[in-house]
Amino acid sequence: MHASLINIAVTGYVLATGLALAYLVQRQDLVHRLAVLATLAGWAVHSVAIIARALELGAPPLGNLPDAISVTVWVIVLVEVLIERRTGVRVLGAFVLPIVVVLSLKATTPRAVTLAPALASAWIWIHIALALIGFAAFVFNFAGALMYVLQERQLKAKRPGTFYYRLPALDTLDRLTFRTLALGFPFLTTGLVLGAMWARTAWGSAFTFDPLAFLSFLAWLIYAGTLAGRAAGGWHGRRAAYFSIAGFAMLVLTLGAGLFLPGRHGS
Amino acid sequence: MPLFVAGLSHRNAPVELRERLAIEEDKLREVLSDLQATSVVPEVVVLSTCNRVEVYGVAEAPGEARALVFRHLCRQRGIDLSLVEDAVYTHLDGDAVRHAFRVAASLDSMMIGEPQILGQVKDAFALAQACETVGPQLHTLFSQAFSVAKRVRTETEIARHAVSVSFAAVELAKKIFAGLSGRAVLLVGAGKMSELAAKHLVEQGAFPIYVANRTWARAQDLARSLSGTPVQWEELQTALASVDIVVTSTGATEPVISHAMVARIMHGRRGRPLFFIDIAVPRDVEPGVDRLDDVYRYDIDDLKQVVDANLRERAREAQRAEALVEREVGKFLVRQGDVEVIPTIVSLRARLEEIRLAEVKRTLARLPDASPEQRAALEALSTGIVNKILHAPITKLRESSRAGVSRSVLELVHELFGLGRRT
Repeated sequence: MHASLINIAVTGYVLATGLALAYLVQRQDLVHRLAVLATLAGWAVHSVAIIARALELGAPPLGNLPDAISVTVWVIVLVEVLIERRTGVRVLGAFVLPIVVVLSLKATTPRAVTLAPALASAWIWIHIALALIGFAAFVFNFAGALMYVLQERQLKAKRPGTFYYRLPALDTLDRLTFRTLALGFPFLTTGLVLGAMWARTAWGSAFTFDPLAFLSFLAWLIYAGTLAGRAAGGWHGRRAAYFSIAGFAMLVLTLGAGLFLPGRHGS
Repeated sequence: MPLFVAGLSHRNAPVELRERLAIEEDKLREVLSDLQATSVVPEVVVLSTCNRVEVYGVAEAPGEARALVFRHLCRQRGIDLSLVEDAVYTHLDGDAVRHAFRVAASLDSMMIGEPQILGQVKDAFALAQACETVGPQLHTLFSQAFSVAKRVRTETEIARHAVSVSFAAVELAKKIFAGLSGRAVLLVGAGKMSELAAKHLVEQGAFPIYVANRTWARAQDLARSLSGTPVQWEELQTALASVDIVVTSTGATEPVISHAMVARIMHGRRGRPLFFIDIAVPRDVEPGVDRLDDVYRYDIDDLKQVVDANLRERAREAQRAEALVEREVGKFLVRQGDVEVIPTIVSLRARLEEIRLAEVKRTLARLPDASPEQRAALEALSTGIVNKILHAPITKLRESSRAGVSRSVLELVHELFGLGRRT
């Protein structure tokens, strides 16, 4: 039941991604409306799927990575629709939805239902929730940074093309990346600290090597550097955007490690 | 009654001819009331702009109507009809509808997407209404044309992107800074085009405005006209450090803003972008500043390139607009066709129903012992026959209205079924 619901939701997201990309190239209102419709339909089914999963587990569906990713995707899609609506940046979907699709492909794979005994603590839920909220914010940070780089490149090249016409102003994009960074960073930080503290109580040591923990710490360093650069060094624009893209690449590796490598987070 | 458009426009008539035929409002009023008196064109709207003189009308004999209208126009303007006649094109029915939609939507304009034409069409329509030369057909046509024009404007980007160098510069500024309100502008030198660009920037909320010029008095003059602040030539670099947008157009033979100068000031700006609009030839800003982060420099050729790209974008959008117009023309014709054939369908049904009821009544009078079942069967039988007979002609009528050949079919149906004269 849950698996087929998730499949329907993912189909909706795939459809929405195709339409959002089509909208980027062929700016037709109808295409955008259909994209939003497909997104919302996918999201509605996804909501039901998550509730079904929670009932099945008798716990928040955050206890293993695929489930947690599924919930994160759900949050990202909701925020994407809201931001588009509020800021009028209608091309955002074209940059966020592909990530959603890639992430949710993982959410469809079958997984263990039992929670590892080590996970039986309230702290672990907070650790997971905070880290994932941070991750969701960084998805938007990445989308904003990517759009910034593309728009900046066109403005510098002085040859207006699709991106020049479709993407918002550099200033808007820079603010988007800064805000999402400022929002995501405290969540990621607290999430990581809680994880380390909890690891010490659960396993007796905070810093035993774990691929996911290690890579997420590297991502954290990149984001910390970007934030510091922005706040103290007056970093801005392209440089900050490159760092945001690098940070996100590291986060993707982090998730990959969690999904495919053995370790405390592994499956 | 047939709908027609007859006229001449920038597409086929030279300006010498258009300007001689173009007619002002007072004179047009006279022409319209003269025309109405003749009853050859029961409905007529005349659109006269510097790019087109066109007559939109409804007439039983469009050819005759067209000749009459142009005779009046020529007489009013004191020119020979034979001069004009060859240049006049005529569109009928569907083509006339399409033409009206395209003109109102600015697809037939010299500069596609220019915004004035819709207002001009609205004025022409209002004038004709005031002169009482607008009837139901033209009313429907024009209100539909206005709504199509509005849809084209909102659903395509036909009029979105700048097609002049100074507006293109403003658009670029918006792609860098989002809103322009509160963005400081520095004007270096005093060319006409830079002044225009500065005015556009001010209209978008840019503030404050600084003006630097080698001649102090000139700087003061220009600053006054833009409500800005004059800046001493020696203070140029200081001013550069604090503004967001720089418009240059000096007559200097060497660049007045060097790479070194900009590199120095960019340090203190903490990544705030700086946008140079260099309209001067030879150029005022060293092209090397392009290599600096957060510095955007567009010279006159770059701006022209942006304008060209915008024009291509407009042309692309125009194709979408054409498709939209085509769909609307189709819908309009279907509605109009339906309006034409519906009265006939109704009277056809009524006529056959009348016959059926009379025959059923007569038959039942001869069968006093008929059971309720038999009566019902008789009703069903007669209704069935009538519907079967009606099916083909009604389908044919509907189809013919869509194909635009309803007139002859309508005549035939009226003739065959004795429905009386059509109104």
